[in-house]
Amino acid sequence: MTEFMGYVRADGSVGARNHLLILSATVYANKVAEKVAGLVHGSVAITHPLGRCQVRPDLRMTRRFLSNTGMNPNVGAVVIVDHFREEGMTAEDIAHDIQSATGKPVATVNIRGDGGMIAALEKALHYAASYTRELSDLRREAVPLSKLLFGTECGTSDTTSGLASNPATGICSDLIIAAGGRSILAECTEWMGCEAWLTSRAATPQIAAQIVAGVQHLEQRALASGEDIRGSQPTGDNMVGGLTTIEEKSMGAVKKGGSAPVVGYLDIAERPASDAPGLYVMYGPGHGAESISSMAAAGCQVLVFSTGGGHTSSHPIMPTIKVTGNAQSFQLMQDTVELDVSGVLRGEITLEEAGKLIFDEVIAVASGRLTKSEALLDDNSFAIHRVGVSI
Amino acid sequence: MKKVFVVEKEDNVGTAVGEPIRAGETVGTEGRERDLTVVARADIPYGHKIALRDIPKGAQVTKYGLSIGSALADIRAGDHVHVHNVESNRGRGDKAARSAG
Repeated sequence: MTEFMGYVRADGSVGARNHLLILSATVYANKVAEKVAGLVHGSVAITHPLGRCQVRPDLRMTRRFLSNTGMNPNVGAVVIVDHFREEGMTAEDIAHDIQSATGKPVATVNIRGDGGMIAALEKALHYAASYTRELSDLRREAVPLSKLLFGTECGTSDTTSGLASNPATGICSDLIIAAGGRSILAECTEWMGCEAWLTSRAATPQIAAQIVAGVQHLEQRALASGEDIRGSQPTGDNMVGGLTTIEEKSMGAVKKGGSAPVVGYLDIAERPASDAPGLYVMYGPGHGAESISSMAAAGCQVLVFSTGGGHTSSHPIMPTIKVTGNAQSFQLMQDTVELDVSGVLRGEITLEEAGKLIFDEVIAVASGRLTKSEALLDDNSFAIHRVGVSI
Repeated sequence: MKKVFVVEKEDNVGTAVGEPIRAGETVGTEGRERDLTVVARADIPYGHKIALRDIPKGAQVTKYGLSIGSALADIRAGDHVHVHNVESNRGRGDKAARSAG
């Protein structure tokens, strides 16, 4: 049985990392959160431009992203920094969400309530220094792959993505699911044109209906903004590159989700309610940072980012493994891209062998091996999906 | 011999992923189908597709083991397969606009 070495949490979930998260609740607390993370061992800050002047549905989306990111098993404890209070999304609300779902230690500071920036910083440092020592007592333990929730993403795609790195990532996903784990396929704009292939794998008629409705919903949102996604796909660039139809383009993307049964449909950034092994499909846009942040919020401990042109994408608390099928991109970007599977296209390795290479890297990273981006302290891919205008 | 990449054995097209292919060249296959050869009837640029078998008008063009569209005309083994001879089976905004207008 395949295992990985992770940090077992109070709620039974298992972290691939043991981060102390310094979470900013609002744009105006970002710098305090960054200062705390810069001063305390083992801590990482998550900041963003939101949390104020959002319409209610948009604010609820921000709260879901922040709270669910705090619940991710890669996070051992959380210090939330707020500036004032936004009704419906205070630091206390987020702390309550995280604590009630996971039982992990969460503290809050409020810049105004605690007597200003210097006092809030001091208070946050006390919490953070104490939590990081508590977390340092934890040791990795061998756990089954049923504890792994694996995320898949593709970006800066080219001809090699749909033929090599995406199908190989899909084979990795199938291996994880065969060992009892779960995977997420997001970016539902890219299901357009191959809904039938996904619905044919849906475990229930309800999931199939949700897949079709999800694509329609994103398409309608784009249409309302004046953009006809379907009518403009594949793009002119795609056609010059050799892509003929939207089916062909979408299959190249959806291949990274492998061929396992679709056992659940998730709203964006939603945590799966079930531990059932299989593929979970998630509503959401193709925007890379929003998409991988939605999968980190869902609880993914590791994500594979398949890229043709090469990529720097890396989430603050979810190790992000980059894989390319483009040998030139690997040469240019090998300080941030882990794996080169271009040998598939030259006939040197099979897709199955490439999938196994990715699988082995996922297990190693889940067990503590740093990604190349982590080694360089690069995190750049936290973003929150918007569903409303700023007011 | 130059080779095109074939994702699944049942695919009737392969993709040029190495040097561009010139008309008249004999091309082999890589991927899950390794035993086919076909003579290119047109230049096939990088990233573009070549027919591995004859595909009659109206038949499905298959890549990834799945249909990526229908042949708009009779396609012969070795032909360049692209927007000039394949049509999406899915709704297309430009078509919807044309029929509405």
